[in-house]
Amino acid sequence: MRRALPDLAWTLLLAVLVALAPAAMKALFHQASVSYLSLASNAMSLAVLALSWDLLARTGQLSLAHAAFYGAGAYSAAILAKLTGVPLFLALPIGGLVAALLALGLGSVTLRLRGIYFAIATLAFSEVLKAVVQEIPTGVAGGAAGLNVPPLFRPHFVPGAMQRWEIAFLRNADYFYVYGGLLVLAILVSTIAQRSRLKAAFTAVRTNEAVAAVMGVRPARAKLLAFVLSSALVGTLGALEAERLGSVIPDGTFAISTTVFALVTPIFGGLYTTLGPILGAGVLSAVEETLRRTFAEGYLIGYGIVLVASILFMPRGLVGLANRLARRRGPPPPGEDEAVRTASDPGAAESGEAP
Amino acid sequence: MLRVDALGKRFGGLAAVRDLSFEVAEGEIFAIIGPNGAGKTTTLNMISGLLEPTSGRIRLGARDITHLSSAERCHAGLGRAFQVVQPFPEMTVEENVMVGALYGTPGTREREARQRAEDALERCGLAPLRSVAAEELTLLQEKRLEIARALATGPVVLLLDEVMAGLRPAEAREAVSLVRDVRDRGVTVVFIEHVMPVVRDLADRVLVMDYGRPLITGSYREVTSDPQVIRAYLGAEDEGADQDPGAEA
Repeated sequence: MRRALPDLAWTLLLAVLVALAPAAMKALFHQASVSYLSLASNAMSLAVLALSWDLLARTGQLSLAHAAFYGAGAYSAAILAKLTGVPLFLALPIGGLVAALLALGLGSVTLRLRGIYFAIATLAFSEVLKAVVQEIPTGVAGGAAGLNVPPLFRPHFVPGAMQRWEIAFLRNADYFYVYGGLLVLAILVSTIAQRSRLKAAFTAVRTNEAVAAVMGVRPARAKLLAFVLSSALVGTLGALEAERLGSVIPDGTFAISTTVFALVTPIFGGLYTTLGPILGAGVLSAVEETLRRTFAEGYLIGYGIVLVASILFMPRGLVGLANRLARRRGPPPPGEDEAVRTASDPGAAESGEAP
Repeated sequence: MLRVDALGKRFGGLAAVRDLSFEVAEGEIFAIIGPNGAGKTTTLNMISGLLEPTSGRIRLGARDITHLSSAERCHAGLGRAFQVVQPFPEMTVEENVMVGALYGTPGTREREARQRAEDALERCGLAPLRSVAAEELTLLQEKRLEIARALATGPVVLLLDEVMAGLRPAEAREAVSLVRDVRDRGVTVVFIEHVMPVVRDLADRVLVMDYGRPLITGSYREVTSDPQVIRAYLGAEDEGADQDPGAEA
C-alpha cells in the first residue's frame, strides 16, 4: 500500500480542485461559468464511464453492455422516485447496486466466453434489457415513452437577491460536486485495483486465463469482481444522469452510444491505466465541444475522423504517446525541437528503448 | 505423494490416455518419457486440471483432487511449468513471479509473497533480470521464468513439461542442477523429457508411455534396456524414432 500513497495524494488534490472549481469559475467567467460547469460535469461523467469500462477490460472482458448497466441504474432511480418516497440521493447507490446485481448474473453466464463471443453476448444483453424495460407495465416504467425523474437538487431561490444565471450556476455547481465525488470514487477504485494484488490477478487473467489458474488465480472470481465493481460505478452514474437530465426513455437511456463512448474513451486515452480514461475523457470532451461550436452541423464527422486518426497513430492512446515522448527525450536540452530529434534518431524512437 | 489411478482421456474416438496408473513418492524425481503423441502432456494437463479426465482418479497426498479447479489444485500444492513457455508478456520478470507468489497459497500476505518471489528469482538465477519485460527474455531465461513462477506458488509437487527442450548442453546441465536443488528442498518433481541424458541424470524412476498407455516403470537402466521400450522408440514410424535412448549426445 505504500506505493499507493502518491496516487492517493493526487486523488486528494483532485478532490480539493473539484471543491474549489465552481467558485473559481464564477470569479473568472461570471455568466459563462454556468455552461462551463455543465460541460465539466459532462466530462466527468464520461471519465467515470471510461474508468469503469477500463476496469472491466483489465480482466480481458471487452463489454458491450455498459449501456445496459447505465440504463439499469437510471431506471432504478426513475422507478424509485415514481413509486416510493426514497430520498433522491439514496437512489444513486441503489442504482449502482441494481447494476451490480445484474452484472453478477450476466457475468456468471459469460465467464467462459472470450473476445468477440463475450462482446456479442453482452451486446445482446443490452438489447434484451431495453426490450424488457419497455414491456414493464406503463404505470411502473412508462413503456416506450419513458418517465420523468425529479431533479436531485431543488432550485435555490432567493427572491430579488439573485440574477437568473446565478440560480442556474448554483444548480450546476451542486451537480458538479456530485459528479466530482463520483469521479473521485471511480479513481479510487481504479487506483486500488491498479496498486494492489488485484492488478496481478487481472493482468494474468487477461493475458492467459489457463496459466493464471494454474498459478492459483481464480479467474472466475477476478472477472466477476471486475464486472460487479465496473457496473456498480456505471449504475450509479446512470442514476445520477437520470436525475440531472430529468427523464429516462428506453431508446435514449439504453442508447448504444453510451457503450461506444465507454470503450472509445479509454482506448483513446490509454487502456489499462487510471490516467488514460481520465485524460481521454477530458480531451475528447474538449474536442467534441470545440467541433460542435465550430461546425454546428455534422460535427460528429469531424469527431469520428479525430478518433480514427488517433487509433491509427497512437495505438496505446494518449498515455502511450506520452510515455514514448518521455523516453525519446531522454535528458533533453531545454527547448530542443521534438521533430528534429525524431528525424535524427529514428532508431531509438522505433525500438522504444531508452538510450 | 501424487497418485494417479486408472486415468483415461478420450477425444471423440481417440483414446489419448488409457488406464494409466502410477504413484510418485515424496521427494522423488519422476520422469515420464515416450514418443510424441504418447499422451504425456495430456496426462500433465489432467493432473493440473486443464483437462477433465474421462475416467480415473488423481490424488495429491491424502486428497482426491480429480474434480478440483486448476486454481484449487495449485492451492493444494501443485505447481506446473509449461512446455510451450507462456509468460505474461506485458509484465516484468518479477511481476510474473509475483502472480504465483501472491495467489499460489491462499492467505499469503504481500510481504511474504515478495519474499517468496525473491527466493524463486534467486534460485532460478533471474534476480538480475527482475525488471526486464518478460517478452524480451531469451528461451533459456523464459524456461527459468516458467520454473520460477511455478516455484513461487509454493508447490509440494512440481510438474515440469519438457523444460530442457531447445537448451544447449551447458544450459541443460544448469537446469538439471536447478531441478535437483528444488528436490533437495523437499519438493517432489514429475517431469516430461525427451533429452535422454537429462532423464538419466535426474530421474529416480522413469515411466515410459506409448499410444496413451503405460509401457513400463522402473529405473533409467531398467526401462532403456526393455525390449518393448526399444521397439516403441525405434520401431515406430513417427517422429519418436530420432529420440531413441542413447542416441542423444
